[in-house]
Amino acid sequence: MFSRIGYALRETWESFRRNLTLTAAAVLTSAVSLLLVGSTFLVQRAFENLLVQWRGDVEMIVFVRSDASAEQIALIDSVLRASPTIIDVEKLRYLNKTESYEEAKRIFAGDPVTLGLLTPETIPTQFKVVPLSDDPILVRSLSDQYRTLPGVEAVALAEDEFEVISTLSNFIRVVTLVTSLVLLLVAVGLIWNTIRTAMFARRREIEVMKLVGATNWFIRVPFMLEGLLQGLIGGVISCGGLWVLNSAWTSGVTSFKPGTGISSLVVPDSYLTSVMLLLLAIGALVGAVGSAIAATRFLDV
Amino acid sequence: MIRLENVTKIYGADTVAVRDASFDIPKSQFVFLVGPSGSGKSTLLRLINRQEQPERGDVWVAGRNINELSASRVPFLRRSMGNVFQDYKLLLNKTVFENVAFALEVIGKPRHAIARQVPIVLELVGLADKQDRFPDQLSGGEQQRVSIARAFVNRPLIMLADEPTGNLDPTTGEGIMGLLDEINQTGTTVVMATHDHRVVNTMRRRVIQLDRGVIVRDQERGVYE
Repeated sequence: MFSRIGYALRETWESFRRNLTLTAAAVLTSAVSLLLVGSTFLVQRAFENLLVQWRGDVEMIVFVRSDASAEQIALIDSVLRASPTIIDVEKLRYLNKTESYEEAKRIFAGDPVTLGLLTPETIPTQFKVVPLSDDPILVRSLSDQYRTLPGVEAVALAEDEFEVISTLSNFIRVVTLVTSLVLLLVAVGLIWNTIRTAMFARRREIEVMKLVGATNWFIRVPFMLEGLLQGLIGGVISCGGLWVLNSAWTSGVTSFKPGTGISSLVVPDSYLTSVMLLLLAIGALVGAVGSAIAATRFLDV
Repeated sequence: MIRLENVTKIYGADTVAVRDASFDIPKSQFVFLVGPSGSGKSTLLRLINRQEQPERGDVWVAGRNINELSASRVPFLRRSMGNVFQDYKLLLNKTVFENVAFALEVIGKPRHAIARQVPIVLELVGLADKQDRFPDQLSGGEQQRVSIARAFVNRPLIMLADEPTGNLDPTTGEGIMGLLDEINQTGTTVVMATHDHRVVNTMRRRVIQLDRGVIVRDQERGVYE
């Protein structure tokens, strides 16, 4: 058993050295495509921070003063529920102080100054409103009406704040996702080609192996390991690139004036780590798939 | 040990390589397959080690119908056979020792078994003192001895040889035949394809003669004609 593992590793390493140029091309392509995949995730997450309060078709947020009494809150609630033809009362949600504070922590992740001003006691609570009506004028006139209610601090409309960003983020998501998928396919192709070349270079050995009764798996495994390794190395490089990119992004974004909302584009480290792990996994998968196809296809020499 | 029943092999649309061939080779026999180039000798060998599968008929090896063998079992069939070729098929980047060891390595033999078995078989083929040479530092006859050592190191039941003396001068060829005869004495069935008259006529073993894919003669202790 150990001699088999040793054999596979030795063969993998040998072949890696022999095909250095092709290997480099395959590794770099997978690195670039994986970097793009990773960036997609980060950009997505950054915009999500910005849009987190508007998730789930929320179009209007009624902010309630932190010192509002329970009666005032109940009154606002009943007023909101009084127009069931315009407002989706099923989806109407009230965030109490703790919940509002949790949300604020995400929005102001890159803006500790503003976050420091908020406490779970002083933060305004909020009603998240999902309108049934598509008519912006109707929704707007409703918001004007809510503004005058006692205890209401402010009413925010999605239209005013994040319409552009949300459209933009969707566009960016589609573009980067498509580009990275195409690049991933190219990476699979390049790895496939590298493995094919490696197998061609060793066709005599493979022929002898088959004649003396080596199993197909025994012949295949070193090649598959080689492809897997190429994808994995690409993944490691892309992780490094992503880390650099994210550091630059974070320092750029946090230097914006506090309170502009831009600072919420910071991505937490825990998320970055999981994206990196994902990239490594995708890299290994891409390599394994590319080489498995080649190894199966070209084993008949 | 090897039995063919009405085997027909067709390449492409209508190139009949072997037509309706039947024979039975008992254990420990030495058999020559003779006939001109293209008469189907090599195809018969390739049918026996399942590099090819027949369009019609059955091939039995050691009591098994090998055409019913699943692809994943084929390697294990091949472990019971040694193959020797006209062009030796040695790996040029490996030494004599490594070439022979390779055959054991790739079927997962442990290192200590390899270290024990390889010197024995190199001794048998008379190359014990050249085990660290590379193939291009050896004569043709010596290279063929290495390839025989590689084929025999796993002690196969059957030895298939395709024109093993084809590239060698007569004296060297005789040496190779002596070696194959020795291997045959150990109980290994030997099937050898050749068009070397002298070899066949000197050895006086069973001869199966082919002409354009058809067996035209099957004779005990035959000559080439």
